[in-house]
Amino acid sequence: MIALIRNENMKIYKRKRTWVMVAIALLYVLLQIVNLKSTDSHASNDWRIQLEQENVQLSKEAAEPDALKVEVIQAEKHRLLNEYHLDHNIPPGSHGGSFAVDQVRNILFASSLIAIILAGEIMAAEFVSGTIKLLLTRSASRTKIYLSKYFAILQFGLLLSAAAVVVSVLLGGFLFGFDDLFGYTLYVKDQMVHEAPTLLSLVAAYFLNLPFLLIAVTLAFMISAAFRSVTFSIVISLLLSVAGFVLSIAMEGWAWTKYFVFSQTDFTPFFYGNPSVEGVTAGFALVLIALHLAVMHLVSYPMFVKRDVV
Amino acid sequence: MLLQIRELTKRIGPKTIVDGVTLSMDKGEILGLLGPNGAGKTTTIRMIVGLMARSGGQVQIEGIDPQEQFEQAMKHVGVIVENPDLYKYLSGYDNLIHFSRMTPGIPEGRIREIIALVGLEDRIHEKVAAYSLGMRQRLGLAVALVHKPSLLVLDEPTNGLDPAGIRQLRSHLKQLAHEEGVGIMISSHLMSEMEQMCDRVAILQRGKLVGVQKVGEMRDGDEALVEFEVDQPDLAVQLLQTIMTGHEIKADPPTVQLRLSKASIPEISRRLMEAGIQVYGVNVRKPTLEDKFMEMTGGEAQ
Repeated sequence: MIALIRNENMKIYKRKRTWVMVAIALLYVLLQIVNLKSTDSHASNDWRIQLEQENVQLSKEAAEPDALKVEVIQAEKHRLLNEYHLDHNIPPGSHGGSFAVDQVRNILFASSLIAIILAGEIMAAEFVSGTIKLLLTRSASRTKIYLSKYFAILQFGLLLSAAAVVVSVLLGGFLFGFDDLFGYTLYVKDQMVHEAPTLLSLVAAYFLNLPFLLIAVTLAFMISAAFRSVTFSIVISLLLSVAGFVLSIAMEGWAWTKYFVFSQTDFTPFFYGNPSVEGVTAGFALVLIALHLAVMHLVSYPMFVKRDVV
Repeated sequence: MLLQIRELTKRIGPKTIVDGVTLSMDKGEILGLLGPNGAGKTTTIRMIVGLMARSGGQVQIEGIDPQEQFEQAMKHVGVIVENPDLYKYLSGYDNLIHFSRMTPGIPEGRIREIIALVGLEDRIHEKVAAYSLGMRQRLGLAVALVHKPSLLVLDEPTNGLDPAGIRQLRSHLKQLAHEEGVGIMISSHLMSEMEQMCDRVAILQRGKLVGVQKVGEMRDGDEALVEFEVDQPDLAVQLLQTIMTGHEIKADPPTVQLRLSKASIPEISRRLMEAGIQVYGVNVRKPTLEDKFMEMTGGEAQ
């Protein structure tokens, strides 16, 4: 099994294309940082007045009858954080460390899209190139081949997203200083503002957002193994993942999102906030995600194992 | 017995592609699967190596059914399906490493040995994309042989090879079978090629096995076309018609031709001479595989 995973890794990392895609993911991180640097607002002396004005504005917005649920939630969060700054006399500012925490979800999203491209190809390409015939006539069962490819692609997704987060932290550190990394990040839970060590919340944010990567990669892998089409697999999974990600943000707080898997792939609210839909627990989200993974494998695994290779 | 196939059947929908094929082969033997396109050669081979599921029947490789113990059975099998499709973006060496990792316990030395055997030492570290078809074929052979299989299965291995490449492959295969005792099953629709390479040929037609024939050997019972070169062909025809009633006898001066079994040649020539006909020569036209094929398949066009 280890040998098979090593084989898959060799096929992933010995291709130039893989490194081009890694470069694209890192470029995305770089762009985010540059964007932040250019809009970096240094705390001016009248930051207190600014925040107070902002809070008045936020309350007004949230009270408007046609405000979306997500707007209400965001405004409330923002207002509480501003109050915290005012109460404790801490000037607000964007810093590398807390920036990275905010960006972890986006970085994982970008890495997932890249991982989808490789996952959509990892099985289908063997059929397209004809190498599947050699691969399936060696002394390794189809189950092992299936698993080794799945593990290899998950490993790639994990490594890529971890690398992107690390690069983000390092770049942020160089531009804004590393001190902030060892400071505290603020979050709102149960209408109260809390502090958490930045480093810890960074690591937590990474792991708590991994379900998205898992769902996206498994989806692409499923289509790849079941239908043997690279294009079909990549296009459908990219479409669903992007739509799912956008919808989960836009529809935050709506009751139906309780059963929408992309709304439940971010576990940070269970620890650093509140779930946007009432009644959702970490256990519920875990079951929902496990169910989706199981269904996808139940579709693709039997199809792959039983298929006649012609 | 290296390979035993019993009543192997493949049905896809209402169509029966392979219909109750029973075959067996020994170590050190080259067995050809011959048949027109669509006769079920490829399907038979793919069922043996587990690429396709079978609808019925049994396969045993070294006594192991690959459907039950796939990994155990496939340890003994090397496969080349058509032009070997390898990973073009990897080097020849990486391809070899890739496939040898899939069978546990292949020592490093074996990989160097197999590279030398197929003569790819100089270019093994180049990407396969830069290989010629002949080189890919040799790398495919190395991949198929690196784990020392006792059964080598090749499906249309000479498609697209030039004559030199075919000859090289043939000598490799003969050496493997006759010196190292590897059993080789090879499918092709090229008759002359099979005749030169195989010890036995199994002929398939419309999914059925219509016969198994040893190559290059005529048994006593077989009838062959025998040519007698005589001084009086007309007289010979008359005489032969009386003693071989019902046989088709053709005069093609200065020869007379008829189908005879090997055992009756001395008798016929004696009768001719007794009748005062001078026999200058007896020529047995050995049946070619093509004749045999036509006979067995009822002359169905290829």
